[in-house]
Amino acid sequence: MALELHRRAELAGIRRVGIPRALMYYRYGIAWRTFFQELGCEVVLDAPSDRGTLEVGDHLSVDECCLASKLFLGHVAALVEQDVDAVFVPSLMGYGRFDTFCTKFQALPDLVENAFAVANKRVRVISLRIDELKGETEQDAYLGLAARLGASRKDAKRAYRAASADQRDYDASMAREQERLIKSLAKLPEQERPLTILVAAHPYVSHDPFVGGVVEDALRELGACVLFADETDKPRALKKSYEFSHSIPWMVNRELIGSILMLHNQVDGIVLMSAYPCGPDSMCDDAIERCIKGKPILTLTVDAQAGTAGVETRVESFVDILSYQKKGGYLNA
Amino acid sequence: MRSFQSQPEQGVGEPRVKRPAEERGRIVMREGTPRPLFFKGKRPKRDRHSRHKVAFFHFRNYEPAFKYFTEQVLDADFVPTPTPTRATIKRGEAMSADYVCTPFKHIIGDYAAALDQGADTLVQVTGFCRLNYYGELQEMILRDAGYTDFQMLNFSYVASGKMRDYIAYCKKVVNPNLSVTHGVKNLLGVYRMVEHIDAFRDRYLANAGFAVEPGSFERVRKEFLSAMNSARTNFEIEDGFRRAMDALDSLPVNKPVDPVRVAIVGEYYTAQDPNSNLNLEQKLLDMGVELKNYMSISNFNLHYNAQAMQASIAEYSTYDMGPTSTFNIACAKRAAEQDFDGIVHIKSAGCTPEIDVMPPLQRISRDYHIPVLFLTFDTQTSDAGLDTRLEAFFDMIAMRKVRS
Repeated sequence: MALELHRRAELAGIRRVGIPRALMYYRYGIAWRTFFQELGCEVVLDAPSDRGTLEVGDHLSVDECCLASKLFLGHVAALVEQDVDAVFVPSLMGYGRFDTFCTKFQALPDLVENAFAVANKRVRVISLRIDELKGETEQDAYLGLAARLGASRKDAKRAYRAASADQRDYDASMAREQERLIKSLAKLPEQERPLTILVAAHPYVSHDPFVGGVVEDALRELGACVLFADETDKPRALKKSYEFSHSIPWMVNRELIGSILMLHNQVDGIVLMSAYPCGPDSMCDDAIERCIKGKPILTLTVDAQAGTAGVETRVESFVDILSYQKKGGYLNA
Repeated sequence: MRSFQSQPEQGVGEPRVKRPAEERGRIVMREGTPRPLFFKGKRPKRDRHSRHKVAFFHFRNYEPAFKYFTEQVLDADFVPTPTPTRATIKRGEAMSADYVCTPFKHIIGDYAAALDQGADTLVQVTGFCRLNYYGELQEMILRDAGYTDFQMLNFSYVASGKMRDYIAYCKKVVNPNLSVTHGVKNLLGVYRMVEHIDAFRDRYLANAGFAVEPGSFERVRKEFLSAMNSARTNFEIEDGFRRAMDALDSLPVNKPVDPVRVAIVGEYYTAQDPNSNLNLEQKLLDMGVELKNYMSISNFNLHYNAQAMQASIAEYSTYDMGPTSTFNIACAKRAAEQDFDGIVHIKSAGCTPEIDVMPPLQRISRDYHIPVLFLTFDTQTSDAGLDTRLEAFFDMIAMRKVRS
């Protein structure tokens, strides 16, 4: 640590921090925003994804990248144009042996810098690294970043505490709300109960208006009640997933699977959605389709070429099948 | 001068046509209640003293080391996995999900073939990224496909990383009478054998392109592997290695002072395994190239200094970008500094970490003026596309060499 003293606070000039509205923003965005605001930085968010974001991002990425990562680069480019001092891109490795993230999140800061360098564009990235298995804890990472931004240890700790508290409260409120919804559904008589459909997807897929928004809208339009697998009690879901698999290494997929198991009796059907080609989903979706029996499962893949075209038709036919089934099968419809 | 690059997005063989239904979505309905992915049922009772028949997947030419590990360390019978054919690969592809990484498809095809040969224990290793999860999902898929009488020695289940736990797990699954002293001594033999296989390969790749007598290198290589395959003791390993290296060095070669030199980096499995990369090394050797393949168990697992590697590429990456990312960027940079004429980057389709390595490699290509050929391998078996691209790449770097 002593050797690093001279480079402390080398980021002190940064006042406007951009946070790309993509990938893990949908999981940790509240914490990030609070953290930088508590440190006295101005936080800039760019507009939600649209076709234009994808086109810019597609141009910056290698063709084989997943849709979500292309969108991410598009968001970074949008922030660069909004004249921010730096863009915040953390490198997330994981919290334990089987609580890791896709390697994409580990590579993100370097990927952004290299992709922009290849395209001869400039971007300033500030980052932190969370790898609890190797001793780089979440708290140390945030405190380290705060120190480099020139905050005192006391301010840094306060900012970190406020950030994690805000995120925790937000997650808890979403989970509570969903539980209330499930309870009120259970109170309705059988005939009046709407179709309940669980959308299980990475939060940056299901909550991105450009990707999962289409599916959510289509489901709601057809009168279904939509539940999200990422808006549940996350620690409980994580624990539950060990009943399903010993060795799935991805934390987010574990939480989704745990939620599916917890909500299995409350839902009529499950929609699995992934951004093509998603590494973790390529294996977990296969496992879910094999092992989660008793409920119809719709697997949707959204890719960069076709986007969400045709998704509505799929969703519609899925809802049709479900409503027939609910009425007692095709014969009794 | 402008550096030359291939289009990164191109695959090597014929483009694979995806069924539209698969891309857009599909609906699955199965009766029953959710079940765990791992096996919780009762195994058929077996004689406690009968020996297990252990099989590995195909991985380059490490089979002698796998065999030695099975026979001398685990003290069980080794079932050699049949050489993969087109049918094996197609079968593996049919059994796996559409866009899972390609090694998964190759390995599950191998497993099915090994089970048909009578194996009852399959070994799967653990590592990074999706590999952690290979064993569990493959076991489930094989059971669903009707293979019931087998078990997995899946090292992913040993989450602690402690030697003691690995031994306890091997005892539980394969051989309760496993001798630890004997095992540790012979594990050293496995370690040495892997080092030897890699050392032999490195020497082979450096010189085989310039053989005076066609096929002579291949002959020595086969002799070496069969000597390793029949080794029973650590002495036989060392002895066989020394003999083979002497034989290799005494072969006549016609090597120019300054040959065309090509470095290979890439994804762990595909960059090494000739069945996965359509025998790319041999194709390059046939053109008369001095080859250096950085990826091997020795280089990446046994003698790997992650910190030093990371420090050497500080200008290209701040953090470790993924399983083999640091290694590949560092090796590509080293190759560029050592005046190689070209770099070939190999990956399997959809390999996330290697896709993320491509921008840094593009920068290295630009900074050092070294051509990089990006190749993506899926389960295709036709190599016409690969031949054309390799020839064009070779012509280009050979021409550059003449001009400079």
